[in-house]
Amino acid sequence: MARIMIPTPLRQFADKQDTVDLPGKTVGEVLTALTARFPDLKKHLYTDEGKLRSFVNVYLNDEDIRYMKKDATPVNDPDTLSIVPSIAGGCHARS
Amino acid sequence: MIKIDRGPWREMVNHAQVAYPNECCGAMIGTIDGDRKSVSHAIALDNVSVGSQAARYELRPEDLLRADREARQRKLDLIGIYHSHPDCGAYFSETDLKNSCPWYSFVVLSIQSGRFDHANSWLPNAEQTQAEKEELIWPES
Repeated sequence: MARIMIPTPLRQFADKQDTVDLPGKTVGEVLTALTARFPDLKKHLYTDEGKLRSFVNVYLNDEDIRYMKKDATPVNDPDTLSIVPSIAGGCHARS
Repeated sequence: MIKIDRGPWREMVNHAQVAYPNECCGAMIGTIDGDRKSVSHAIALDNVSVGSQAARYELRPEDLLRADREARQRKLDLIGIYHSHPDCGAYFSETDLKNSCPWYSFVVLSIQSGRFDHANSWLPNAEQTQAEKEELIWPES
């Protein structure tokens, strides 16, 4: 079981909830439960190939799961999962 | 449409002018009512881009996580990201696009010779291939 913090712009795809408590023993299981409950969220988090979009980071409490066991990272109540984008840029290279 | 209140707007412009000739970046929090976004607080964040920051910025995801938590504590929403373009227009560059996220508004402030010149807000798509201009209202606009 873990609590997922839903980013504001994605709440419209999650019954307008800002947090959702979902079952699962690992980060991967909890994320699967998230997109199973709210299928419209899936395309915002995953590519058509089923991989997390390049700008999507998942934090377990204060730790990036890429530096833990990724999807296999164990979760325990009352852990919190946060979905945080990578953002950068710069004024060179006009689009 | 995104409207920025006087307080956060002053902070954003000041941040961008102080950071000149480098780029600055930060988060905008406030409220969302349908398509209307209202920014009531700006949070200056570190530009952690390695090397010259005259034409590059990068946010620490951990800082964005903290900004989101601050917004939730205030019963507000994380609405968008701002950054500056020193001596460049407030366009959404290819670099901006390739490193964007479609969930938020991206306000770009053009700083010319150290002073604020103009700004635009952009909404990038999920594929990071194009960005649509969003109506932006600030106190002196």
